[in-house]
Amino acid sequence: MNNPITKDYAHFEDLEIGQTIDLGATTLTKEMIITFATEFDPFPFHIDEKAAKASLLGGIAASGWQTGAIALKKLLENFPKKLASAGGLGFTNLKWKRPVMANDTIGGTVTIANKRRTKSRPQWGIVTLEFDITNQKSQTVMTMSLENLVDVRNPEITDEGSPK
Amino acid sequence: MTRWYEDIHSGQKLSLGDHTFTLEEIVKYNLQYDNQYFHTDPELAKHSHFGGIIASGWHTALIGQRKLVDGLFAEEARLKALGEEPGLSGPSPGINKMSFVTPVKPGDTISFELSVTDKRPSKSLPGWGLLFNNMKAVNQRGELVYSADYVAFSKLRDFKPTLKQRIGIWMARAFSG
Repeated sequence: MNNPITKDYAHFEDLEIGQTIDLGATTLTKEMIITFATEFDPFPFHIDEKAAKASLLGGIAASGWQTGAIALKKLLENFPKKLASAGGLGFTNLKWKRPVMANDTIGGTVTIANKRRTKSRPQWGIVTLEFDITNQKSQTVMTMSLENLVDVRNPEITDEGSPK
Repeated sequence: MTRWYEDIHSGQKLSLGDHTFTLEEIVKYNLQYDNQYFHTDPELAKHSHFGGIIASGWHTALIGQRKLVDGLFAEEARLKALGEEPGLSGPSPGINKMSFVTPVKPGDTISFELSVTDKRPSKSLPGWGLLFNNMKAVNQRGELVYSADYVAFSKLRDFKPTLKQRIGIWMARAFSG
């Protein structure tokens, strides 16, 4: 790959299955929750105290979409080296297991669960990233699996990462 | 789908309107949440295989969520105007699969549509049903931008809890602080 921007970034060959990235800690204030939900997910139970109390969640809870946005942000910030990403393919098994309430602190890990190459796209490998997002009580609040394309440094070498 | 669970059927569709992505909003979102060169810098992005700046997939899906919430409220208002009683939507337990197919570039106009694919009563939450919905986002050229399989809670209109369930609900309320 002759992309001057990503030449020193981590490539497909640099990633190891089992590698984990710690996402640090982020506290969600009521203000952060309401600001985000007002823009992207304005259900009354995310933005209105009274409606939130009467809902299944029992109080102001963050939009699950906000938890995901923060998890993705934190992954980029905490990756040991910038990643030569060629874009995300999509998510599977996304589960919002527990609500994130105002003033909860979320963190957790992302694990490189798999990496593989395909014959059709030798310039990229597909990396599977498993997210386990937890709260301050170490309870899982969200899990999801992301498949992401990552540049291969030497596409002509095909014995790397079990090509098919 | 802002109707009672009993009134929702597989195949029902709700058109959610469209959204035109500006360069400004793409850069603003990505500087905060998805800070990669092909998401934040139109010049550097030319080096990427996308050939230019593109929106974050998560941002595209967030706009879809906003269109969904607005669409549900509009549908609720429409039903009320007809003298009908809308149902109640609850929080979502998750998304089974979300695939990003075509990238979104500045100036692209994306239209969103939700359709019901299946439903069943919830096992964990008495009085609620689970809806399986598919969200489709398509650009101005008719290309699929993303497709997502959502799961959502929807309240049952005709729910009559058994004695055991009533005790369970009462205990959950009493102990939830």
